[in-house]
Amino acid sequence: MTPTKRRTLKVLGATLGASAFAYAVEPLRAFTQNITLDQFLQGHFKELTPEQLEVTLARLEQETKDRHGRDVTIRADPAIEGVEFGYGLNLSICVGCRKCAEACHVENNHDRASNNSYIRVLEMTQGSFNLEHGNASYDHAVPAPDKYYLPVQCQQCDNPPCTKVCPVEATWKEPDGIVVVDYDWCIGCRYCEAACPYHARRFNWTTPEIAPEEINPDQGYLSNRIRPQGVMEKCTFCLHRTRRGELPACLEACPTGARVFGNLLDPESEIRWVLANKRVFVLKEELGTRPRFFYFFDK
Amino acid sequence: MTKDADAPTDSSPDAGLPSDEWTSPPPAPETLPPRSLRLPMRTDSSATMARMLEEAGKQASPEIRESERPPAVSERVTSIPPPISSRGGVHPDIPSYTLFLWRIAKTAFESTWRYYLWMTMLTILALIGVNAWAGQTGGGMIHTNMTDHVSWGLYIANFTFGVGLAAGAVMMVIPAYVYDDHDMHDVVIFGELLAIAAIVISLLFVIVDMGRPDRLWHLLPGIGRFNWPRSMLTWDVIVLNGYLLLNLHIAGYLLYMRFLGRRPARRWYVPFVFISIGWAISVHAVTAFLYAGLGGRPFWNTALLAPRFIVTAFVSGPAFVIVLLQVVRMFSAYQIGDGPIHTLRQILRVTIPANLFMFGSEVFTAFYSGGAHAASMRYLLMGLHGKTTLVPWMWGALALNFASLLIVYLPVSRKNLRLLTAGCSMAFGGIWVEKGMGLIVPGFVPSTLHEVIEYQPSLTEWKVSIGIWAAGLIVLTVAVKVALRVLTGRVTIDTYAHSLPPRALPGGTGL
Amino acid sequence: MSVRHRAILLAICLTACGAKDEARQLAPILGSAPGEVEINVPAKLSSIEVDAVDPLGRPLRIACATCHTTKETAVLPESPSELQAFHVGLQFQHGSNRCASCHVSEPLRAPKLRLADGTELPMTEALQLCAQCHGPQYRDYKAGAHGGMQGFWDLRRGGRTRNHCVDCHDPHVPKPPQVLPAAAMRDRIPVAAPARGEEGHE
Repeated sequence: MTPTKRRTLKVLGATLGASAFAYAVEPLRAFTQNITLDQFLQGHFKELTPEQLEVTLARLEQETKDRHGRDVTIRADPAIEGVEFGYGLNLSICVGCRKCAEACHVENNHDRASNNSYIRVLEMTQGSFNLEHGNASYDHAVPAPDKYYLPVQCQQCDNPPCTKVCPVEATWKEPDGIVVVDYDWCIGCRYCEAACPYHARRFNWTTPEIAPEEINPDQGYLSNRIRPQGVMEKCTFCLHRTRRGELPACLEACPTGARVFGNLLDPESEIRWVLANKRVFVLKEELGTRPRFFYFFDK
Repeated sequence: MTKDADAPTDSSPDAGLPSDEWTSPPPAPETLPPRSLRLPMRTDSSATMARMLEEAGKQASPEIRESERPPAVSERVTSIPPPISSRGGVHPDIPSYTLFLWRIAKTAFESTWRYYLWMTMLTILALIGVNAWAGQTGGGMIHTNMTDHVSWGLYIANFTFGVGLAAGAVMMVIPAYVYDDHDMHDVVIFGELLAIAAIVISLLFVIVDMGRPDRLWHLLPGIGRFNWPRSMLTWDVIVLNGYLLLNLHIAGYLLYMRFLGRRPARRWYVPFVFISIGWAISVHAVTAFLYAGLGGRPFWNTALLAPRFIVTAFVSGPAFVIVLLQVVRMFSAYQIGDGPIHTLRQILRVTIPANLFMFGSEVFTAFYSGGAHAASMRYLLMGLHGKTTLVPWMWGALALNFASLLIVYLPVSRKNLRLLTAGCSMAFGGIWVEKGMGLIVPGFVPSTLHEVIEYQPSLTEWKVSIGIWAAGLIVLTVAVKVALRVLTGRVTIDTYAHSLPPRALPGGTGL
Repeated sequence: MSVRHRAILLAICLTACGAKDEARQLAPILGSAPGEVEINVPAKLSSIEVDAVDPLGRPLRIACATCHTTKETAVLPESPSELQAFHVGLQFQHGSNRCASCHVSEPLRAPKLRLADGTELPMTEALQLCAQCHGPQYRDYKAGAHGGMQGFWDLRRGGRTRNHCVDCHDPHVPKPPQVLPAAAMRDRIPVAAPARGEEGHE
């Protein structure tokens, strides 16, 4: 083969290869078109100055309007001094109606197609605490005889395994006890999801799709704003509500009042009463995670 | 193989090189470097090399004689402002090193039709993988079959296996440098090249597993936030990249010295080699700690995980290298004795049973005490609540491991290399399943709330994974090819300096 | 912003941080006033639903007093099965109680409730009646560990509305009925349009 022929073939091959490559990466355009430079360069939440935060929140509100068709307010309320949240759950009263899971789904702007929720309710057999015999996909009238119901959500652990393993510090524990995720910093490696012993974390396998009229417009940067694809999310005890003093959505939806929420540092609070007067336990205590979610039975 | 009648005789960079080098002898002696340069390097290679280059300089090819005869090699090396600073101080060899890399990179595009076919096939597979990954990044990880229950799958399984392969490839370094096995010295470089390719594969698998690869910069210390030392993933980033750089340095330095026909200075590679032994172990221990440190996953939360990882790495690495060495023998004139292969076989005779013993230990611990913590092992070996997807995989892997154990212990496998290769392939496949799908997926089944949601990779995941393995094989092929070019003397400072246009050479050299 | 600018900004932030940690002044939410805990008074304590509908199609409710203050009501029966004219079909499953255990029904007077010692209570004070027997549940209810609520956990910033016992527990059949649960999360969602050759998921 002459050198000219060889060279021609090589150039031809290179051109073919380059165009094949361009064709191969074409689907990436859908992705890159959706990312603006501001989004790409956005810093970690803890490093934003108040002015930068204002600008970022305004931009996110505009992006939500453009992409999902609804005017929203995104706030970034800081933790309140002297407040540490605790949550109690009365297993004698919970009837397994899943209204808490449904309220969470609506409040937190979850993807409609998957009926995603941070709360997973397990139907357990009376007398046994073996989670292996629990069933999360029950579909019959509740409460069924001889069963009790165990809703599980993020336990906001004091020694969280999830924040330890995040390689970019996209998730951390706030001063009021809530473990939060910065959705614009998360790289989507899902190590925290592997580390969590309570199945509390969710990953956005796709961009959430919600009809504009169903979007909850009262949003928080660290809690229920509509997350982008490819990032982790989790229960935040509705911090966009609770940091304003309101009850979380799951508690308001619970018809039986099995849920108790309040400030652990306030000796007069309902949660403190529960801790003092009920036999309280936590899930998987032996793992040393020190959850802030306390279960109790009445009897 | 057709011979090229009209071999190039001009002074283009391609001059002096045959059109194909794989199996046929060169077409005409006048256009080749002296035959002596293609002799096997058995003993102290660098001294032999220097001696042979001396001779080569004396019997320069007719073509070189036609132009102005350059001084002998030993003279030339000193009369050109030395690329290597023997004076100390800042090395002016950095530019030369770059030119050396450029030169050998070009050889990756000069070869036989078989090579091109192989590389084209690999490129096609890699492009299919790129396309599938682009679709996954654009459309979301929903295109994989991972769920919130089984949130790591084929990608992380392959990552784990790839890191083990990289760590185990360096297994040959121990006999060569710690035990002074001289036969091994000649082939250590292939282990290092395999390590480079395997690390590239592992890093690619991590990137494709990320939900937001556009945010990779968040990992950079200083600009992003690097959660070291708390997060084991950050340790993994450090050790993997460090290991890559180590192997690139060692392999690059040794090849560069061979290229220049100089004896490698011990201080530039021996300490790094010893560091790479420890580093290889730590690479894989850190990867094991990623999983072993999670208290919520009892299947992984065992002290035995890191030792198992190391041992399986020392199965997959040597198994692959045995096959690689035979491939090199088949396609190149570089002579490799049977010594390294026998040594690696001996290593397999220790590590394959060690791994099976450790696995047996895990099985005993799980089943004798019973209870909920045995659920993952039960799922893996027997199925759980009627879900049995992984059961055939696992038993298949065990069968492959036992078969390979048998083969390496049969005396005939010492001589019968075809049987040994079959055994190595079985060991490789068995470890791939056991450490990949058979380790990652059962960690998630049952889930932390004890639910059994199964997982089988989706088509996208298979395409991306095969694409990445193809890309890794491209890296390996190119690396081995250029290394062989240098090792067999096809590409040396001779051919390089000769092929440079005159203006590149400094004046006053006698040329 | 370039990487260098970001680095400079990072340095500035590290020295100037802390400004974000003050509690912000929060606007009060319209609704209940701070500190107020309002207990819902269910309509069924003062009216009864009848089969008719009003012109807008809503079920018609008639106040108890409407009939009880204008008609001669019968003596309280031993059990609801004895009812013949009004309140027919009333289900009753509340231990060994009888109608007269809780109710006071005198002709031409609005109906009242009575405690065990005979003290009369207006119907809207039924909570006290439940509490007299169900002490532990009442204690839990007062502490906030029983019974649904809506509003604020932090009563300094807003009030709260609480369910009444009767909101969930029909006094005649107190055991709450079974309900059908809301839908569970679907563990896998179908991909909208499978790519060429790709399979759909369940």
